[in-house]
Amino acid sequence: MDGHILACLPQRLKDVFRKCSPVDLQGLEEIRIRVQRPVEVLIGSRSCFITPDGECTPDWRKGIVTTIEDGQKMLNQISRHSLYALEEELRRGYITIRGGHRVGITGRAVVEGGKVKLLKDIQSFNLRMARELKGVAAPVLPRLLESGRFGNTLIISPPGCGKTTLLRDIARCLSYGMRDFSLKGLKIGIVDERSEIASCMDGIPQNDLGPRADVLDACPKAEGMMMLIRSMSPDVIVCDEIGSLDDAQAVLEAMHAGVAILVSAHGHSLADVRERPSLRMLFEETVFERIMILSKRKGVGTVEGVFDGAGRRLADPAGKGIRHA
Amino acid sequence: MLKWIGAFCIVLACTLTGFHFARRLSDRTAQLRSLLMCFQMLETEITYGSTPLETAFAKISRQDPGPIGRLFAACSHYLHHLDGVTTFECWQKAMNEVTPSLALKKSEQEWLRHVGKTIGTSDREDQRKHIRLLMTHLEKAEQEARDEQQKHEKMYKTLGVLSGLIIVILML
Repeated sequence: MDGHILACLPQRLKDVFRKCSPVDLQGLEEIRIRVQRPVEVLIGSRSCFITPDGECTPDWRKGIVTTIEDGQKMLNQISRHSLYALEEELRRGYITIRGGHRVGITGRAVVEGGKVKLLKDIQSFNLRMARELKGVAAPVLPRLLESGRFGNTLIISPPGCGKTTLLRDIARCLSYGMRDFSLKGLKIGIVDERSEIASCMDGIPQNDLGPRADVLDACPKAEGMMMLIRSMSPDVIVCDEIGSLDDAQAVLEAMHAGVAILVSAHGHSLADVRERPSLRMLFEETVFERIMILSKRKGVGTVEGVFDGAGRRLADPAGKGIRHA
Repeated sequence: MLKWIGAFCIVLACTLTGFHFARRLSDRTAQLRSLLMCFQMLETEITYGSTPLETAFAKISRQDPGPIGRLFAACSHYLHHLDGVTTFECWQKAMNEVTPSLALKKSEQEWLRHVGKTIGTSDREDQRKHIRLLMTHLEKAEQEARDEQQKHEKMYKTLGVLSGLIIVILML
């Protein structure tokens, strides 16, 4: 199991997980730790409980039960004894740890002025393994290039269909450059408001983004895009989940500044997104040269189709592997 | 002859005792001053830099070569290496280690110990409050220690020498 994940667990649970056979934990996706309840793991989409002897069982009665103390120790480990450094994270309800993994937390919300100020008495931890899938962009990349140039691209996908993973991999490929399509490495500016693309910890990207990526971590999208244009002269700006009017305006601004754009948005189809009031102006100006639609039909990351700016479907050439330049 | 050697020993012992007490006074002032400086730095690290405790403590410990620096260094070490231990336990362990070389009064040591209970456990604003509170205590103590040092340092030294001489004279 990943050392960074083990490092967040209290010693007692660490020992139990060390006893587990690696075969049992193959494809581990989540570890769910709830105070005074058994430890659950999700492998694939199967739910199991870990016994004190390190075995996986579907029977929750046999699972090892965590104590209140375990919960406190875990919070200490995750925050590195410094809750004050996690103010923003405690408000959002998740913490990014080394290795790019994500720890979701729930507890009691402290509200101030109608807004959540922080979570306290943390009761549940959900350790989600980050899996950087390198190479997922390979089959679609050729279709995103317009006569050897990377065009403005929009990825449309419902949640959980691998949108961010694909976005990250495309950014990585562009940053390295691609010998096969004689595309030189491009300067990539990433606005990572939710710390999901680069999974920064203390500002250092935990995911491989190639040699030419600059990351604005935890920065609001619209403001971040403008900052990048002004300060970093990127060739491509990458941004996840645009949705507000401000975001759309910033995208337009970037386009007029001559920067290519790679963004994603929530939705099931092109029509869905086209009708969103906040994003409508992007289609009126035909900002995007490529629009890709994802689904879960044949597993996470199924590409339903790639369209050009006018909404015409592009043929699917046989995807070939990518070699970095 | 033997009598003179004995007399010399008594004077020496008394003088050293006097100097020792005088030294404690000046040490206390110096330690309180470096505590003030260290907590000032910690406040900046926490409220401005949001630096994790472990890193902040290590940074602070490099600024001070004395026992106060050692306190922060030890705590930083424990925070990093002890597994699944609370922050307070780490602080307490570090405190226990340096207590013998602290010239602070009991009450000052209590404040210092107490701050370990709150450090790292709340948001920045709250941390600032706790550190400020400790610093006002420390400032007062430092003022007092300085006054005491001025008043008594010389006295302890001369008292040591003179008491040695008196004993010798009485015994001769």
